[in-house]
Amino acid sequence: MMNNKQPLALLYVLMAGMTLLLTPSCKKYLPDARLTLGNDAAFTTTTYEPVLGRNTLFTGNFNIGNSTLSQPLDFKIINLRRKNGDPAPELTENHPTLVWKQPYLGDEKSLEEIEAKRKIEYHPLFEIREHSGQFLVWAGANSTFVKVRPDSGYVFDVEVSNSGGRRYFRDFRLKPFRERPYEPSNLDPITGNATSPAVNASIVNNVKGVRTSRNMGGGDVAVYFNRVGTGKSLTFKFLDSAQNVIDPNLFALTKWESLVHGFKMEKTNTQVKYEVAYPIPLITYQTKYTTPSGERARAVFRYERLGFGGIREEANLGIDFSIYQEGSWEIVFQFRNESPKFNND
Amino acid sequence: MRYLFIISALLLCCISTATIAQQKKVLIQGTVIDKKEKVSIPGVNILSGTPLASVGMTNEKGEFSVSVLPDAKLVFSYVGYTTVTQKLDGKTKLTIFMNTSASYLNETVVVGYQTKSKILSTGSSVVITGKQIQDVPAGNAMELLQGKVAGLNIQNNNGMPGMRGSINIRGLSNINVSGAGDNAFLTPTSPLFVIDGVPIDDNSSYEYGFQQAGPGISPVSLIPTEDIERIEVLKDAQATSLYGSKGAYGVILITTKRGNSKIPIVSYTSKFFMNTVPQLRKVIGGRDERMMRIDQILRYDTSYYHGLGMINNSAMLSDSLNAYWNNSTDWQSYFYRQTFNQSHNVDISGGDQLFNYKVNVGSYAENGILENTGFTRYNLNMNMQYQPSPRFKLFASINNALGKNSVGSGNGLLQTGVATGGSSSSLLPAPSQFSAVNDLLASLKTQNDNKTVNTVTTLDIQYEFIKGLRASTNFSYNFNTATEDTFRPSSLSNGGGGQSTYFNERRSTVYNRNMLSYFKTLNDKHNFTAYVFNEINMNKAKADKVRLVSNVSDYIQGPYGYGFYNSRGGTLDNFADARSVAFAGAFTYNYDQKYVIDLTYRVDGTSTNGPDAGYSKNPSIGLRWNFFKENLFKDFNWLDYASLKASYGKNINPNGSIYDVYGKYLSGPAYNNNTTVSLDKGVIPNTGLLPTTTMQLNAGFEMGIYKDRLSFTFDTYYKQVDNILRSKAVANINSFGSISTNETSLVNYGYEFSMRGRPLSEGSKVNWTLSFNGAINKDVLTHLPNGDRELIYDDGRQLILYRLGMNSLSNVLYNTKGVYATSGAVPVDPLTGLRYRTAGGNPAYFQAGDPYFTDLNGDYILDNNDLVVVGNSQPRFVGGLGSFAQYKGFSLNMNFSFTLGRDIINNALADRLQNFSNPTAPGAMVPLNEYNSWQNPGDIADFPNGLDFTRQARVQPFRYNQTLFQEDGSYLKLNDVTLSYNLNRKFTQRYGMNSLRIYGTAKNLHTFSNYSGPNPENVSALGRDTSGGYPNSRSYTLGLSVQF
Repeated sequence: MMNNKQPLALLYVLMAGMTLLLTPSCKKYLPDARLTLGNDAAFTTTTYEPVLGRNTLFTGNFNIGNSTLSQPLDFKIINLRRKNGDPAPELTENHPTLVWKQPYLGDEKSLEEIEAKRKIEYHPLFEIREHSGQFLVWAGANSTFVKVRPDSGYVFDVEVSNSGGRRYFRDFRLKPFRERPYEPSNLDPITGNATSPAVNASIVNNVKGVRTSRNMGGGDVAVYFNRVGTGKSLTFKFLDSAQNVIDPNLFALTKWESLVHGFKMEKTNTQVKYEVAYPIPLITYQTKYTTPSGERARAVFRYERLGFGGIREEANLGIDFSIYQEGSWEIVFQFRNESPKFNND
Repeated sequence: MRYLFIISALLLCCISTATIAQQKKVLIQGTVIDKKEKVSIPGVNILSGTPLASVGMTNEKGEFSVSVLPDAKLVFSYVGYTTVTQKLDGKTKLTIFMNTSASYLNETVVVGYQTKSKILSTGSSVVITGKQIQDVPAGNAMELLQGKVAGLNIQNNNGMPGMRGSINIRGLSNINVSGAGDNAFLTPTSPLFVIDGVPIDDNSSYEYGFQQAGPGISPVSLIPTEDIERIEVLKDAQATSLYGSKGAYGVILITTKRGNSKIPIVSYTSKFFMNTVPQLRKVIGGRDERMMRIDQILRYDTSYYHGLGMINNSAMLSDSLNAYWNNSTDWQSYFYRQTFNQSHNVDISGGDQLFNYKVNVGSYAENGILENTGFTRYNLNMNMQYQPSPRFKLFASINNALGKNSVGSGNGLLQTGVATGGSSSSLLPAPSQFSAVNDLLASLKTQNDNKTVNTVTTLDIQYEFIKGLRASTNFSYNFNTATEDTFRPSSLSNGGGGQSTYFNERRSTVYNRNMLSYFKTLNDKHNFTAYVFNEINMNKAKADKVRLVSNVSDYIQGPYGYGFYNSRGGTLDNFADARSVAFAGAFTYNYDQKYVIDLTYRVDGTSTNGPDAGYSKNPSIGLRWNFFKENLFKDFNWLDYASLKASYGKNINPNGSIYDVYGKYLSGPAYNNNTTVSLDKGVIPNTGLLPTTTMQLNAGFEMGIYKDRLSFTFDTYYKQVDNILRSKAVANINSFGSISTNETSLVNYGYEFSMRGRPLSEGSKVNWTLSFNGAINKDVLTHLPNGDRELIYDDGRQLILYRLGMNSLSNVLYNTKGVYATSGAVPVDPLTGLRYRTAGGNPAYFQAGDPYFTDLNGDYILDNNDLVVVGNSQPRFVGGLGSFAQYKGFSLNMNFSFTLGRDIINNALADRLQNFSNPTAPGAMVPLNEYNSWQNPGDIADFPNGLDFTRQARVQPFRYNQTLFQEDGSYLKLNDVTLSYNLNRKFTQRYGMNSLRIYGTAKNLHTFSNYSGPNPENVSALGRDTSGGYPNSRSYTLGLSVQF
């Protein structure tokens, strides 16, 4: 009798042999498991016109068509060049950029807490999101070194690929507008020159003029955005029609702590000042400091008085605004035609 | 046959030798007993002398008495048993134990309507004998094959008595999914059943018991397990090639018992079994439920006072002392019950080669564990065979079965009423006439009475004109009628009166096969077999349904009530009148049983083929090399047998209907006061429609060593399924809607192995056999309509992706990476500073306690672009383990089956968790603390915060299509354990019984699995665990088997 191992060894050899023999031979004729990249996948926007000086995200610009399950796709900007064909290193080189690391929720208790949520990273000023095809323009881009309108701007191509194929989309245009440091803006988008001295207040309710007792409207209050220096502060001032300072304390009902998401409020008889983080609002997200859409900060000053017939009237004066550039900013409300009435009738 | 010759030849010899050995003889007496079954064997041939000559035979009690020389050897031989040689050594009383010959070399297989020795078969097939399955009660014998055949994937996913689960041979054969949500079904591809040589239509309407109408009882359910002699599973294309049309998904041959004992045998088998309620889904009840809801509102409503208002507005929560709300009702308990059931079977058989007969009478009654469901089967099966001379043989059988079943308020597969009713709030009052939960009443009060009658008659005549040339004809007629009577009492119909539904279906099949075969041996070495046959199959089916509404009263169910205007009736559109015809031929040659070649060719035409498609031609070739017969292996004593084989073949399965081929005319609107006839513009006729074709390559290896102590089979296969029918939408510039084409293909390849061994030595008193089998299957989609690379099917809950080069059915889900422990853990868009959020105009920003879904495209928005292809709903590795141990009269049999590598989606859990989105709605609540769910900031949890109901509509933390609910569905199931005892024969014979066997069986004893739901097997063929599934019950059987 033979030893026991022999039949088992024979068995293993045969099994292994057949497995090896058959596996590659049959797989050869099977299709590869590839993703698809259909002809219906396309960019829906080819001209991008960001405003510099602020973070801009172009979204919803790529339609994947029927290949939704063939993601992730890989997107790459290639051949980024000026209109005349020169290279555009200003957009492709890395620049220090402030990026969010933690979610800003609007309930941060100090400037440090906010600043801890973002940090400096180095990014090219113009990027494409690797898998979604969204375009990013970082706030660091400004007109001192980036070609802005009325220049023709830049031209670039995009390469989209996955394991199912590779497609090139050509001659995209990037035509930036020069920065407008605050919104609402009185600056011309092309030239950057002011087209009017000030913008109007967004919210003017029940504010009555001293002289006429007329209900004032937005056009009665001019709002000036003045960058008075570097730093990180925001100051509100009020001027009457004669350019005299109005005591902010007269806006007695104002919720000073939620006026802006700022800290260390200094309220004097002439102004109220906060230490703030820029930009304002920090992100497009509804907080108690913003409009419902979250796009603009909303600063509202309130007061009450007894109106005609002894009726209590609550008056609001405010502005929905954004400030993109860091600095010591002051927002000055100036009553153009007549001063507001704080006294009771 | 052959044995008859041998025996008669030996008898002749006996006369001559007996004269020589006249003197000094001794009388030897004794009994011959089957070693395993402990029953005596009548008719055993006893031989002695040199050369061997017959000296006697055992009588009906297995006793013998022969006179031989004192130093003689006695040789006991009997068909199907290993021959025993016994030295006398002076003994005059002998007890001989004979073993059934498990020897591989003696096994036979049936391939292409011809019985042949297994050693000459080139295809891949597995035989299961009736004995292996008969101790377990089952409404459908197929469920007992689970885990016994490598490559046969049976998932008993429907616990309703009489219904059967999904059966697939060698993987997936169709990718089409229909329906949505809980009703999403994979098109079934059940194998062809051939019962006693007659192909039986077990088409899709029985596969899951899923019919919109009708009882859904499969013809296979109407065969009692006690009457099954053997089941043979044919897997590769060579084995199935001659079964032609419908054979593409594999063939299962079922052979019923025949009489083969000169002395009539009456055996009675009785089983009493108890079905118990398995693990049900967990719910929270009573005060705990109320407090949980109140707590949920107070903690998570938008404001405290709004929450108070919400509680006070909900009587269910605030009016806790109201008897209507002050309950703790376990709804599931009202649907489920423990049942006691029984089955009885009497088998009377007898006869010999010349004439034999069998009558099998049985009844089987099983009440479902769900109230108002059950299955009862009565059968009377008879067959007889008459062979007056070796040249003429006549076999006739008539099998009658009556199946009665009730599916309650559901259908054969789903109990949606139970699903919704069983998931009602426990605060609602217990069932009564004015129950708060109508689904429960519907389930209990609906009268559903279904009857299926199946009659199969078969006549098979063979005649041998000249030696070797044999003609045979087989004719069978199969008639199946099914009725369903359903009555919904008026209390369930919102004041509309009772509703009666009557369904009546008739199916008939005429089958005829005429065959001419020729067998020739030259020089004792060259063996030829050739045969040709033709086959005709005619199927007719017609179903009518009538629904009467607004019955007069609950006691008079008809003829019609006051709602005749809304009553409906007519013939259903599954009307069929299909024909198929085939011509086939086969040629087999073997050289000294060493080299075998099989060639077959079959031409098939079916009426659902397009006229332009013509006949389909299906060749096959099989080769086998029994290399152990080579001289090289002559000295390998340990080697019993070893062979290599390979085969190639094609096979078809007709699909579609004649409407897909020829289109359909409809009666149109009236024009000029004449009715018009117009073309049905739904489907473009496709006159080139082809049947589904499978092409299979198979290579196998078989070996047995040490006198069959260890045997081993290995097969590897490549199965290509082409021309799968799929409806294709056409561009809307056409006036038609869609066209049915054969453009889908897929490939399965895999490995199958099975092993059987006896670990103990032959002399051991314990006879122990262990077996193991497993099959690894991988399916790859290879073609889609229009040459597309991928298609998506949306079943309303999850997407199913068909992508070339991948497994055919992939789940498409959001990948749940975990739960945000804190809001700070939510990813933030570095540019906009916004948190990861849901899509849409009013997005929900993710926060602590929300599920963390992978943001695939990195845009910080959760939308369709983030779906990932993950999970395969089809099992990758299935198999089973068996152990049979016997010691004296005791035997212990255990069977396991396993499925490894399968992804299942727990939709039922998702359903229940979604109930948290509305704390005032009366749905069942799961005990959240049993799931690792997020409660407080910082919790590392698996399940998201379920309580934050105000945001659930937007966040959808318990959405169906996420990997949180996709779980590994691997399991190892202890299918059954049987402990049996054969009473001492001497004792039983005192009471006139030849043998008496008592046994106890436990079925569905335990499933080992990590799956969180009740049962990983109880899921749909698409791997969805739906709330409406019918759970498998555990059953305990006490059985008795007597032979007179």
